[in-house]
Amino acid sequence: MYLRAQNVSKVYQEGLLFRRRRCVLRDVTVEIEEGHTLGLFGPSGSGKTTLARILAGLDHPSSGAVIFNGIDLREMRGHVFTEFRRSVQMVFQDPESSLNPIKTIGRSLREVLDLLRIPGDEQAGIIKEALEVVGLSEEVLCRFPRQLSGGQNQRIALARALLLNPRILILDEPTASLDVSVQAQILNLLKEIQRRRGIGYLYISHHPAVMRFVSNSVCELHNGMVTFRGPVEKWETGAEAGARSTST
Amino acid sequence: MSCGISAKRSLPSNPGALIFLAFLLIALLSPYLAPHDPWKRYEPYLGPSRDHPLGTNDMGNDILSELMFGSRVSLGVGLGAAIIATLMGTIIGASAGYFRGWMDEVLMGITDIFLMIPQIPLVIVVAAFLKPSAIMITLIMGLLWWTSLARIVRSRVLQVREMAFVEAAKVIGFPDRHIILTDVLPNTIHVIMPKFMLTVASAMIAEASLSFLGLGDPNAKSWGMMINFAFSRGGFLNGCWWWYMPPGICITLSVLSLVSMSMLLEESREDEHVAS
Repeated sequence: MYLRAQNVSKVYQEGLLFRRRRCVLRDVTVEIEEGHTLGLFGPSGSGKTTLARILAGLDHPSSGAVIFNGIDLREMRGHVFTEFRRSVQMVFQDPESSLNPIKTIGRSLREVLDLLRIPGDEQAGIIKEALEVVGLSEEVLCRFPRQLSGGQNQRIALARALLLNPRILILDEPTASLDVSVQAQILNLLKEIQRRRGIGYLYISHHPAVMRFVSNSVCELHNGMVTFRGPVEKWETGAEAGARSTST
Repeated sequence: MSCGISAKRSLPSNPGALIFLAFLLIALLSPYLAPHDPWKRYEPYLGPSRDHPLGTNDMGNDILSELMFGSRVSLGVGLGAAIIATLMGTIIGASAGYFRGWMDEVLMGITDIFLMIPQIPLVIVVAAFLKPSAIMITLIMGLLWWTSLARIVRSRVLQVREMAFVEAAKVIGFPDRHIILTDVLPNTIHVIMPKFMLTVASAMIAEASLSFLGLGDPNAKSWGMMINFAFSRGGFLNGCWWWYMPPGICITLSVLSLVSMSMLLEESREDEHVAS
């Protein structure tokens, strides 16, 4: 399975009387494959999150296409779109705000299983297993997101996404709001999950060290344009890349 | 701490909530609590006494019993109109804010048209032309007073729909109905409830005003209708304060209690913002 953004551009129009066009992405092509991690690197405002949202189907490109397993996202209907929804999941930057503050963790997880029409008596076992995968105990189920740490919430968000058994996971700076030790735990957990399940990751970050640790290949964005695409071994550091982008 | 929890904790200790609860209980239990049948005639113009704690009116009806039964009509009209207005405002505002696009344009266009209608004069005209009844007044007010709530709900839903947990729910593939009912509206309830309280208060005042003008249901003894009878049948001229003062005090107290509860809910929301 693969997910590809092909020649994707995104333009926002601003202003009421005098319309100004702001191009956030220009002709970007990236491909995420199962079992591999594509790192999406770039400074703030370079269009990383916009590209992630377009790939997750949360936003539409102004031009270009998102293709999942050879089918254009715009042409997907019915069960084909449902298949895309289940197969492509996203984990957001702020772990606490990605969970509904008025739902307990247990409810947030159970409703995903309800969506999958899994009978109630089987749900407890599946949730227990999902929590074990992300290294949490069942004790968190009766708590609200505000009663958990950032790292625990991010693990819950990950467990929730994994309940759908996705093939592609878009990780939008999932460790940005966590401290260094928790970051390392989450990154190791992500690698372990990928090793076991063969999920493809799009990992967004602006930390070169994190990129090198998690990625097989890197796509670097500057001002909405791809300035580097290739294996992580050939990738220069972010600072050098930024300088190169400015000079070009 | 969520707004809902803090409001729940503080509502029971709020005097306004206690007063309103007392009025609700009186309205529900009036057949058991009222000392006399409000339609039964005794000696007219009696001042407060042991048999008639709030005296009698020109027809000899017991004022205290009228007051207790009147709370049913006044609170019924207020709550009924507010429930209709809140349901309409919430559905229209939430649909416009969540779906945006053409639905937003159409629904907010309709809201703007309704906002331009002078509501009280329209209620007076409609009540004058149609057979005045408590149900009719409730319906008219409910169908006209949803506009400001629709605007408020829309603005809040526009904020909530951009929050990460709503986007996460969309990515997981929950249907829009599920997202609106379990993610968006529960996080909008703290703007709906204060407005609901104020709508109940406004509807009660409007019902009292209409009844005072003689446009209320003459068969339903509301607090406004009691003041109307006191005014038109010499209660004011003869100095029968026990006739017109109690319903006036009840209207004032119930409106103040609703405003107090509304302010409490607003404050708990602000506290939550400060805490977060």
